[in-house]
Amino acid sequence: MISANNSMIILRRLFFSILRSVLTLILITAILYASLMVTPAETRASLYMPKKTSPRMTEEMYAKMLQDMIDKYQLDRPFPVQYLSWAGNLIKGNWGYSPNLQEDVLTGLTHRAPATLELTFYAIIIYFPLGLLSGVVAGNRKKGVADRLFRTTAFVATSLTPMILAIIMMVVFYITLRWFAPGRLGTAFSPLIEAESFNSYTGFITIDGLLNKNPALTLDALRHLAMPALTLAFAQWAILGRITRATVIEENQKEYIIAGRARGLHEWTLAWRYALGNAAGPVLTHTILSAASLMTSVFVVEIIFSYPGLSTVGVKSLALIPDAPSAMGFAIYSTLLVLILTSLLDFLKAVVDPRLREES
Amino acid sequence: MGITRRFFSHWQNWLGLAIVLAFVLMAIFAPLLSPTDAETQTPNAQPYLKIPQPPSPEARLGTLPDQTSVFDSLIWGSRDALRFGVGVTAIVFLFGTLIGTIAAFFGGRVNTLLMWVTDSFLAFPIIAAVVFFQQVYNNLLVALLEQTEFAGYYSYVLRTPAIMETIKPLFTPLMKLNPTALAFALLMWMSYARVMNASVMSMKQMEFVLAAKVSGAKKFRVIFRHLIPNAIAPALVLAAKDVGALVVLQTTFSFIGLGHPTPWSSALLSGKDWIFSPKGIVMYWWVFVPITVALILFGVGWNLLGDGLIDAMNPRTVETN
Repeated sequence: MISANNSMIILRRLFFSILRSVLTLILITAILYASLMVTPAETRASLYMPKKTSPRMTEEMYAKMLQDMIDKYQLDRPFPVQYLSWAGNLIKGNWGYSPNLQEDVLTGLTHRAPATLELTFYAIIIYFPLGLLSGVVAGNRKKGVADRLFRTTAFVATSLTPMILAIIMMVVFYITLRWFAPGRLGTAFSPLIEAESFNSYTGFITIDGLLNKNPALTLDALRHLAMPALTLAFAQWAILGRITRATVIEENQKEYIIAGRARGLHEWTLAWRYALGNAAGPVLTHTILSAASLMTSVFVVEIIFSYPGLSTVGVKSLALIPDAPSAMGFAIYSTLLVLILTSLLDFLKAVVDPRLREES
Repeated sequence: MGITRRFFSHWQNWLGLAIVLAFVLMAIFAPLLSPTDAETQTPNAQPYLKIPQPPSPEARLGTLPDQTSVFDSLIWGSRDALRFGVGVTAIVFLFGTLIGTIAAFFGGRVNTLLMWVTDSFLAFPIIAAVVFFQQVYNNLLVALLEQTEFAGYYSYVLRTPAIMETIKPLFTPLMKLNPTALAFALLMWMSYARVMNASVMSMKQMEFVLAAKVSGAKKFRVIFRHLIPNAIAPALVLAAKDVGALVVLQTTFSFIGLGHPTPWSSALLSGKDWIFSPKGIVMYWWVFVPITVALILFGVGWNLLGDGLIDAMNPRTVETN
């Protein structure tokens, strides 16, 4: 069991992992702000714009306001000065006003985050156990029927891009069978969550529906979640399964497995406790490294199935009016989510893998 | 067995090579295969027709709703795909390899710092970068519109001549840049750096490198003559796979409205509304099947080629694959 000493080591690891995340965030935002410096100062001034005070504000007044912002935040000064004052505003929660979303960028992002998290959560619930399971099974029966089947399916899964998979899914489950639907909620249910009597506890509609004693709502939300979650899970399952399979095969050649077998340990124990236990480290490492590409896949799938998550902010920022604040906010917010996920997984890795506890 | 013999002893490798070669030939002989360039071709003589036309002698794979030929888009699109895939991969390959090698060669603090930067870049989702660069691009475009006679449309942007003067020299080169290519170039080099770093690290203490160092070879020479050529194999495999993966990702992005359109993605987009038709999905199959199959094959071909290279260059991994 984890002793007091060990938990100290894990906490220290967590602290350093958070510190690293903060430094990473500083580096990435600095690069983003530096790339924005090639655009005219008005673009940068729009990062500070508050919500438009009056709907009747004329464009001349808006232009005057922008000019005031340029003067106030010294947007003609060198990079470090500009970056620091912008980052200060970011921490204070002033992420600018987005003309395309018609709301503050930070509010717009926090509104939509639960939808994205819900989709990601269900996709992970589907693909993580399945990926580990098929990876171990395929790895233990190398070149067997199960292995061949897994490798073929995984190859298909990684070759089909989400858009092609989406077309197939829409044809089968939406047009033909009428089981699932795109979007987040059906028209009958979407007014329901806006109603005053509806209490949003978690932001996850599937869970909130149950908490509000409305199972029909949960069912409808699941019906809309199914296609994006399955599309996402299919590709991720293949990637995870392949990594697990490769690590299990590698572990199986090691001496401790042979020693265990010689002592008469059951194959089941060898595969699921020893091989998988030691493979957990590399698998988690890979998941940490590819957290950002998981995020990208989530957004792509969201857009394809018109699921109203965080990606809406990114897509809408490109509509007609230039909207630097929401593009910037989208980039920073998604990086933040990736960093949180990475830190959590890093923590999990330290708990799971005893070797990491001993080392430091 | 030599590398070439091992490579050609698996049918998958033959298949991969054949697919990739087919695309290369298609790109080279595009003017012969389809005399009309998909980008410059004018819609057919029947502008009132708004329905995709079935395959005919003029358009061998049918037409899209705007009466452009699917066949032309397919052939000329392979040019764009190869140019994008190979070009961007070359950039990330060079940059990543260099960073990884330098970090491993100097070791210590340099290694820690460079690898930390590499890992930091890994936390940035590529889709956010595409959106962001597209935004920067749009903002620059708006600044251009200001200067021309279209001014007044975005009139909330200040018209200060001084600002235009600072932008102008930057403007022309920036407009030529593809936001997707820029985002990929900035965010795809990390895997090369990591792979190369591990590879050089394991090679740094080997006798031939030490011998080169002891005999007084300059650092530059040790890196470029001894370390990189011997440690490059895994990075090459990655590059072969990336050419296909990058093009597939680019097409996906531009299909969902991010980044510049390519011939393939705009063909898919304009045919999108005809995939599900009242008469069933097979009715207008030519609006999406040829391009989709080409895209899948492009990804699969390069992927197979990469897998073949792993087997050929490192016989030990044949067991695990």
